Amino acid sequence: MKAARAGRRRLSRDERLAYMLLLPALGAVFVIVTIPFVLVIIQSISAEDGTLVGFRNYSRALANPLLYDAIRATGVYSLIVLPTEILLGLTFALLVHRTVRPQGLRAAIYVLAILPLVVPPVAIGVVGRLVYAPSYGVLNVILERIGFVHHEVNWLGDPTLAMLAVASVDIWQWTPFVYLVLFSGLQTVPRESVEAAQIDGADWWAQFRYIDLFYLRPLFLLIVFFRLADVLRVFDHVFILTGGGPGTTTQLLSLYMYRVEFKYFDSGQAAALAVLVLVSFSILYRLISRALPLERT
Amino acid sequence: MQRISRREFVKRTAFAGAMLTSIPALIEACTSGSNTTSKTTKLTIAAVQGAEDGPLKKVAPMYQSQTGITMEVVEFPYDQLFEKLVTTFQANGSSYDLCMMDDPWMPKFGTMGALQPLDSNFGFTRDSDIPSIVYDVGTWPPPHGPVPPSEQGKSKHLYGITIVGNVEMFMYRKDLASTAPASWNDVLANAQKFNKSNFYGYVIRGKATNPASSDSLPILWSFGGDIFDSSWKVVLDSTASIDAITFLTQTLKKYAEPGAENTDAADRDRLIAIGQAFQSTTWPAEVTGVVEAAGVSQVAGKMAYIPIPQGPGGKGLGMMGNWLLGIPKGSQNGQAAADFIKWLIKTENMKTYVQNGGIPTRTSLLNDPTLGQSNPYFPALAQSLAAQPNWRPRTDQWNAVETIYGTAVNQAVAGLKTPKDALTAAAEQIRTAMKQAGYPS
Repeated sequence: MKAARAGRRRLSRDERLAYMLLLPALGAVFVIVTIPFVLVIIQSISAEDGTLVGFRNYSRALANPLLYDAIRATGVYSLIVLPTEILLGLTFALLVHRTVRPQGLRAAIYVLAILPLVVPPVAIGVVGRLVYAPSYGVLNVILERIGFVHHEVNWLGDPTLAMLAVASVDIWQWTPFVYLVLFSGLQTVPRESVEAAQIDGADWWAQFRYIDLFYLRPLFLLIVFFRLADVLRVFDHVFILTGGGPGTTTQLLSLYMYRVEFKYFDSGQAAALAVLVLVSFSILYRLISRALPLERT
Repeated sequence: MQRISRREFVKRTAFAGAMLTSIPALIEACTSGSNTTSKTTKLTIAAVQGAEDGPLKKVAPMYQSQTGITMEVVEFPYDQLFEKLVTTFQANGSSYDLCMMDDPWMPKFGTMGALQPLDSNFGFTRDSDIPSIVYDVGTWPPPHGPVPPSEQGKSKHLYGITIVGNVEMFMYRKDLASTAPASWNDVLANAQKFNKSNFYGYVIRGKATNPASSDSLPILWSFGGDIFDSSWKVVLDSTASIDAITFLTQTLKKYAEPGAENTDAADRDRLIAIGQAFQSTTWPAEVTGVVEAAGVSQVAGKMAYIPIPQGPGGKGLGMMGNWLLGIPKGSQNGQAAADFIKWLIKTENMKTYVQNGGIPTRTSLLNDPTLGQSNPYFPALAQSLAAQPNWRPRTDQWNAVETIYGTAVNQAVAGLKTPKDALTAAAEQIRTAMKQAGYPS
C-alpha cells in the first residue's frame, strides 16, 4: 500500500492546469463522438424494439445486393475524383509556384481558389443540373452551337456519363483544396536547395522529383485522408443531379445509407452499415499511411 | 487593479462558462413550464416548403388576428419534413402543435401512434360536402383495402384532415387536339400524331425513386397491375404490371423527351410551359405554379385537365397525394390546434384559402364556377375525387417499397433493364423487405 502510494507521483500545478484546460475539449469529444459511436454499435446489434439480435443486422446488410452496387459506385467515383483532383491541383500549384511572382496576383488566385470551397454543395448541385440537364443544359447548348455534337448528349441518363457528370462537380469544387494545400507545401521548400540543384543543372522534372516531392509527400497523405473522408460524405450534389440514378449507377454509399435509414427506416441495418464502413475505412487509412508515411525519409 | 492567480483565473472562467451555457436551458425550462399551465398563445406548424404550404401561410395570419394566437409556420423541404417528423415523434417531442403530412406518411405515423385522434379527442365528424375518400385517407387503420398485420383489429380513428386535395390528373394541349384522350391508347395515338422535332408527344417524369413511382403508378393501376394484392402478396411481377410498365417505358417512351430517366416535375413543367410537349400526367400544384401561371407559361389557357385516362380494362385510376394536417401526440396545445383545423375547413375560410392558391376538398368549392375560372383543373379534380382515386399502399414500409419500385421503373426508362427484368428484381426485393417487416409476402 505504502509502495503504491509512494509510486503515485503528485501532479504538478502546471500539469493539473493542462488537464483542466484539456477537460472541456475532451468532454466535447466524449459527448459528440464517443457516446454516439457507442449508441451506433448498440443499435447495430439491436432490433427495432431494442432486443439484442447479435450480428443479424450485419448479415442482412452484407446480404443486400444494393450494398455492393453502392460500394462499386463509390469506388468508381473515388477512382475518378481523387487522381484527377490531385493531378490538377498539383499542376496548378507547380504552375503558380514557378511562374507567378507578383504577390498580389498570387493572393488573387488564392481567393479565387477558396471560392468553390465555401459554396454550399446544394447550390453547386443546382448549378450542375443547369449545366448537364437534358434539353436546357448549358453544356449541350454550347456543344451544339460549336458543332461538336448534333444530338443532345444524355449526360445524366447514361450510366457512364452520369457518373462522370457527378464526379466533374466534385472535381470542380475540391481541386482548389488540393491546390491550396500543395501550394502552401511548396512555400516550405528551402530556396537554397532549389538554387543548389539549379547550379548542378537539374531540370524542372529533377527539381520536382528530388526536391519538391520530398516536401509534398506528407501533404499527399493529408489530401488523400481528407478527400477519402469527403467522398464518403458526398450527398447533396449527387442527390440533386441524378438522385442516385439511372438505376443505382450513382447511388454512392452515403446516399444508400441515407435511404436505408430514412426511406427503409431500418436503423439496425443502417447502424451496421455505419460500423462496417468505419472499420473498413480505418483499415484502408492504415494501409495508405503505410504506403505514404507522414515522416520525410 | 488586483492581480489574480492563474488558478483563480481558470476557476472564474469555468464558473462564468457554466453560468453562460446554462442560460438557454433555464429560459427553456421557464417557457415550457408556462405552456402547460396558461392559455395557448402560440401554435407551431411543421409544414412542407413550396406550393403546398403557401396558401396556409397566407391564411394563418387571419386566424391570428381573429383569435390572438400567434401562428408560426416552420417550413422544411419534402424529405426533411418527413425525417424531422419521424425523429420528433420518436422522441414524443412537443416542438410542433400541427404537422403537414403527405398521405403516404399516414401508415408510418399511424403505426407509430404518433398522432392525436381527431374524432374521439376533439369531436371531428364527416362533412357531406367533403368526399368520403378524403376522410378515409386520414383514417388509421385504413377503412378499406389491406391492413398491415400489426394494425389488424385496432379501432379506426381520424388522425388527419386534408388541406391540400391533391389527386394526380392528366393534361394535354387542347389547342392542338379537339377531343380529350379517353384511354391510354388515345394518349399513345396523340403522342404519335403530335410528336415532331423539338416537340415531344409525351413527357415521362422518370427520375429515380419517388418521381418515377408517382408518374407510373396511375398507369400501373389503370392497366390492372399493382404492387400488392389485397392480402399483401407482391404482384409487381404479374403480367398486367409488366405490360403497364412496358407501355410507359418502351411504347410511350418513343415519343417522350430525351433524358426522361432524369426528368422530375420541374423539368416536365418547363417543357410543357415553353410549348415543347403535348401531354403528361400532372399534379394541381404544377398547374397553378407553372403551367397556368401568367407571365411564366406560354401555354396558359391552352391546356385541358382530365382524370387519368382508362387502361385496357376500361378503368382509369388517379392517385391521391393529399396533404393533411394532424396533431402530434406530444403537442400540449391539442385543443387549440384542433380549433384551428376546424376553422380552416369551414366553407368560407376554405374559400379564402382557395383564393390564396389553396387546393380545396369541398365539392361545392371545386364546382364553384367563379373559382374554376382561375383554377381550370377544378372540374377534373372534382371528378377524380368522386371516382375514388387510389391511394398508395397503406403500409409503414411504403418508403422502402417506393424506393425499390421507383428505382426499377427508372432502370426501365433508362433502358438499363427490360421492364420485366426490372420489375421481377424489384418484386423480389420488396418481398424480402416486407417479410422482414412481418408481412405475409
